[in-house]
Amino acid sequence: MKKSISLITLFWAFTQVSFAQENKKVFLTGGARGLFYGDQLHQDATDSVTIPKTNNGHVLVDLGVSIRPNKSTEIQGMVRVRNDYGGFWGSGVSFDVRQLYIKGIIAKAVRYQLGDINYKLSKYTFLNSDQEVISNSPEIFKQQTRIMNYDNFYYADSTWRQQGASVDFGIQFKKYISEIQFKGITSRVRTSDFSNINDRLFSAGEIKLIQSKYFSLGYIGANTYDIPGTSNNKITFHNPVHTVHGDVAYQQEAHRLVLHGEMGTSQVRYDNATEAPILKGNLYEAQLFYSNEEKGIRASLASTYVQPDFRSAGAQTKRINFNAQPQAYTRIGNDQYLRTATTLDYMRETDAYNRQLSPTLMAYSPKYDNITPYGAATPNRQGYAIRVNYAKKDAPASLRLEQLIWKEVKGEGTLTLKQFYRTQLNANVFLNQFFGDKTKARVVEIFFRNDITKRPGENKIPSVNLTTQTASIGLCYELKNHFDVLARVQQVHYNGFDLLAIRNAYSQIYNFSEYRVNGKEQMYSLGARYRFNEKSTLSVNYLMFKNVNTDATLQNYQINQLMLYYQLNF
Amino acid sequence: MKKYLILSAALSLVFWGCKKENTFDGPSLNDMYGDFAIVHGLDISNRDVDFGAGQTTYFTAEFTKNVNWQLTITGLSSGAVKQLNGFSNVLNVSNALWNGTTTHLPMFRAEDCAVALSIANVADTLRDTLTVAGTRINNGFVLADFESGMNPGWVPFIQSGANMNFAVQTGSGAAQGSRFYNMAGAVSWDWLIGMIDMPASAYGSAHMPLTSNAANLYFNSMIYKPAGVTNGLVLLQFREDDNGDGAFSEGTEDMYSIQVSLMTDGWNQVSQRYEDIPTLVNGSAAGALGNGLHEPDKLLKVSVLFLANPSSGYSQSAIDYLIFTEDAPLQP
Repeated sequence: MKKSISLITLFWAFTQVSFAQENKKVFLTGGARGLFYGDQLHQDATDSVTIPKTNNGHVLVDLGVSIRPNKSTEIQGMVRVRNDYGGFWGSGVSFDVRQLYIKGIIAKAVRYQLGDINYKLSKYTFLNSDQEVISNSPEIFKQQTRIMNYDNFYYADSTWRQQGASVDFGIQFKKYISEIQFKGITSRVRTSDFSNINDRLFSAGEIKLIQSKYFSLGYIGANTYDIPGTSNNKITFHNPVHTVHGDVAYQQEAHRLVLHGEMGTSQVRYDNATEAPILKGNLYEAQLFYSNEEKGIRASLASTYVQPDFRSAGAQTKRINFNAQPQAYTRIGNDQYLRTATTLDYMRETDAYNRQLSPTLMAYSPKYDNITPYGAATPNRQGYAIRVNYAKKDAPASLRLEQLIWKEVKGEGTLTLKQFYRTQLNANVFLNQFFGDKTKARVVEIFFRNDITKRPGENKIPSVNLTTQTASIGLCYELKNHFDVLARVQQVHYNGFDLLAIRNAYSQIYNFSEYRVNGKEQMYSLGARYRFNEKSTLSVNYLMFKNVNTDATLQNYQINQLMLYYQLNF
Repeated sequence: MKKYLILSAALSLVFWGCKKENTFDGPSLNDMYGDFAIVHGLDISNRDVDFGAGQTTYFTAEFTKNVNWQLTITGLSSGAVKQLNGFSNVLNVSNALWNGTTTHLPMFRAEDCAVALSIANVADTLRDTLTVAGTRINNGFVLADFESGMNPGWVPFIQSGANMNFAVQTGSGAAQGSRFYNMAGAVSWDWLIGMIDMPASAYGSAHMPLTSNAANLYFNSMIYKPAGVTNGLVLLQFREDDNGDGAFSEGTEDMYSIQVSLMTDGWNQVSQRYEDIPTLVNGSAAGALGNGLHEPDKLLKVSVLFLANPSSGYSQSAIDYLIFTEDAPLQP
């Protein structure tokens, strides 16, 4: 049935193309992709069971039809036709509706959208935070990361893809107040099974008063909640979050100071569940921004305070599902033990990602990020952050420095608080500014992050000391006329010990587990890319991934990957 | 000057945030990793406690970390056992208070008791003793405790079978006090071995002196099963005078019944809310025989029947401390 609908949609779309060209009311949009992976596994241990070489890939087309029946309405439907390599005569071919929405403007004032919506509010109420480690990957790895993000509807503006309805409008004033903006969204997070699972909705709204470019004040209310009566289950989940935010700006010539603040409260409760706790938490954040656009300098000083029981499904839901098993080489070794997922897997496995809001704190991997596993809204964190950016057009380099000095608000299992330190450097050196043709894309990308989690031991309680160092250097060098050579070396090194909280179904800590790691993940990659134009590229690259785990030698292996990748957007 | 003031105010706001809480989340890590040691040994607040006078006693101890502990008080004469359990690093009035109740029957008497505090994963047991000077008083209408022998108003019936022994016995085996009613024998021609009728007249009134609120009234009894005897049944019958004529009319007025199959060796407590006592016909639930209303204030007679399959041979049981309580089942 699903395939039939998709085929009819496709047929209808193609028949309308000529119509579109005549009156410009119908447009085709979308993209096409060809992706091939050739993998080879090398292990230190003898393995006569696992097949070492695998090949896989696919070709897909995302075909969207945008219809504008009038000046104020747009309808878009996009279907995905995917054929995995090796699938002939229809086997291995899948048809999916990728997105469908109607949007428009009512009376030239109220914008609305129905269906698939990309939406965000503040980082404590509704925001899709970046995934660990690979978000800072260099260009050669970003090609794969972009595929992940595109397939999972993760966009650069950190919106969540939701299905529902949204409405935005504003009222402008002549005196005292410049504008009052109103935003609202309701989406369905979970559907009822008509038995024991209730329908779950996410609703949020924002009212923002903009007095001028120097002062604004806003309120955000967000709620993830079950609808009673949509199943036989009387227990309903509710997670209301309320925040107030404001900006005060001061400008003198090119110098601009902005004081931004957001504070709020959250609650989690399960109605009709007598044994369930009610979790209440507060947050507070103040940031002082300085910018000088003429000199390309931006800096900020931030103070953050998020209580341990602050819960916000819209802001704390993670992209990566760390409970997922890798699809490639799921089991290795003669004993076919489970292979632990690595950054290589998270760079290319769509199924390891989550697309829907989670009512509870999801699993995370401390070796990749033990400081901000749930983004800015990570509960039980307080402290300061200093960030300095330098980026200027035609400058020989850009720089971003970040220093986090955080600690827990409340100890876990002890009154002594864990301390968190993050030092991060992102730098780009634009070689084209030093020699050769300045229009060529020639850049060296440098990334370094050092995460430290510490807590002193007391009596017989062992001390916590977990470090993660991520370092990479990459080169993107345009040899000639859109033909780029790409190279990169990256290492994630983690070592140490932590006591991790084990939480119950209500996200409350009921025990601790010892977490000990000592290993590194190394990637070396060399590739070439030809950019036909801004919307079309062809890439080939060879990557060597090495996993070294000192404490679990069975996880020591190397995967060599050959990737062919063609992308066309239209 | 103005811009410095603004900047100072802004910075103050930024640095305003950090706070510290003086509690922690989750279980104490000290419980996982800390060494166990006794800070203060076992002590007893009242070593000569008279529960009958409303006294209580509590136990104290302190350890270096939270542990699973069990405090066992054993009556040296009765064999009654009271157990208190907890997970904490301290025993005090809030978690180790004893009001004279019993965990495993029989009930405590006025006697000396041994106290033992055992701790999970710790080999040593802390021991002490105390004296129960007086037992606790249970509020309610005592139908029978046999401490004064048989009530002359009761009507016993005993079959002429073999090895018949229906009598009040004295000794350490009573569930409460020092006496209980033994029921034993073998009757090859009938399920009934013996019985006692306890009419309201035996207590000097036309109906049992009970509340009219059946939802708030509980019937409690101690029933004994000897080891190795598996064929006995105890049937408790409650006859009501629905029409208030002072007599029970068979088949037209309500008779509720509790049938107890003797399963666990030793004394067992049977407690049931009066409103929930069913009508039984030959051991099976049946429709009401009278007005179907549970009216304890019209209770005319309580009968205790000891039954066994006639082909199963000798059987034995005993009863003690039949008491009606209000608000809650008996806490022995």
